[in-house]
Amino acid sequence: MRIAALAAALLGGLALFPAAVSASPSPVVAWYAYGSSPAELASYAYARGCDFARNQTGAGSRLMLLDFGAARKLSSSTWGTIDFSNTTVSNADILTALKGAADGYHNCHLRGSADLLYGNSNYHLSGSGMSTTDAWYAGYHQSERAEDLSAYQAAKGYGTETADAASDLEPSWDGPLITKQLVNGDQAQGWALYYDFGSADGCPQSGSSDGACNNGWHVSDVGYVSFHGLALPLPEIYYAANANQWTVVRKWWNGNPGGYDFAGVTTATGAGLTPAAAWNTLSSLNSGLVDPELVCFGC
Amino acid sequence: MLRLLTCLGAVCVLAAGAGFGLAASGSPSERAAVSQPIPARMLGPDVPVPISPAILRVRNGWLVSDGRTLVAVYAGAAGNDSSVGRLVIVRQDLVAGTQTVRTVDAGPTGALAIAAAPLGTTVETSAQAGSILVKPAVGRALRLDLGTGRVGSR
Repeated sequence: MRIAALAAALLGGLALFPAAVSASPSPVVAWYAYGSSPAELASYAYARGCDFARNQTGAGSRLMLLDFGAARKLSSSTWGTIDFSNTTVSNADILTALKGAADGYHNCHLRGSADLLYGNSNYHLSGSGMSTTDAWYAGYHQSERAEDLSAYQAAKGYGTETADAASDLEPSWDGPLITKQLVNGDQAQGWALYYDFGSADGCPQSGSSDGACNNGWHVSDVGYVSFHGLALPLPEIYYAANANQWTVVRKWWNGNPGGYDFAGVTTATGAGLTPAAAWNTLSSLNSGLVDPELVCFGC
Repeated sequence: MLRLLTCLGAVCVLAAGAGFGLAASGSPSERAAVSQPIPARMLGPDVPVPISPAILRVRNGWLVSDGRTLVAVYAGAAGNDSSVGRLVIVRQDLVAGTQTVRTVDAGPTGALAIAAAPLGTTVETSAQAGSILVKPAVGRALRLDLGTGRVGSR
């Protein structure tokens, strides 16, 4: 399964992006979801899909990330998120929104292709009352919704689109045990690649040992949530220190299970490194191990 | 294996589309990009924050949207230096399809928190270029001018 997922990701990135392997790729925009209601998210997502398609350069396959907020258990049998405007959104509503994004991308498509990502985060899972089992189901159903989106894309004949999942996994936002369950649930469902676009907050900046990070995490925990099962690291790089931390994660993993590489970089404008510099900094420390993807909030 | 075959199939389709430069059939049909307004409101600790703790250790936030443009402000301390007061301003232009994230540092003030900001339904447009009062851990309150994006003494 792991080999299959990596092969697909590599084929999607490298085969369509041969010239960009050694240079920083152009950034693609990722979006934070602020909805006034779940129904609003569908038209919002449609517009973002259309924007993404119209602004896409090159013939390669790129990641289109919509961050719907924190993973949540909304009722005894309903999972979803609470978004950045404090609107609760069920997975059914998120799937409707993602279908809207797929329609928008298709209707405005000019070139290339896109992998549409259902993004969430580990923000205060425990604090909201979620158990580790609840988090496992959150990851499971997130992957399931990505599979549903893929089926929709196929049924509609959207041949330039695929679907996967992503999560902003931040050590400072919740503990390692519950956060790992998001990844485990996704892996158990078995469909979606699970891009970790979080940080290695507080982790050491040098060496290759299993040092301590923030909030009870260790380097090995960051390695787990970013590379176990179907997880792939798409790390946030805002400062050189972040690239150093993720390099430690890679070195630790490769000294143990092995085979760790990066699916690209997540960045933002207005803080520290420019997007191009962020990708270049991580790549310079991990030569040949950073795929040509640059997801940017705020570009 | 099923996943591999599915992905490889998708990649083949994607590669074919990319290789021949195919565009989607049919004309683009944009839906209205305008959303429902979001009344100006404070964001407490239960509301998820999109900004990584590596950039900002958040104390609180504020949000407003008139349906065409949206502004969210997050206040706290710099992720890499807790002595530096920091504000992060997220702006979305829902019509133009753009999103910006701007970081504004207030200097060695310690963590900032939003102390006063316009609230309600009557300020959904005007507040986006108004001002917000922020308080440091110690010392005098500061004012963030959303029109200029600068923070200074009130």
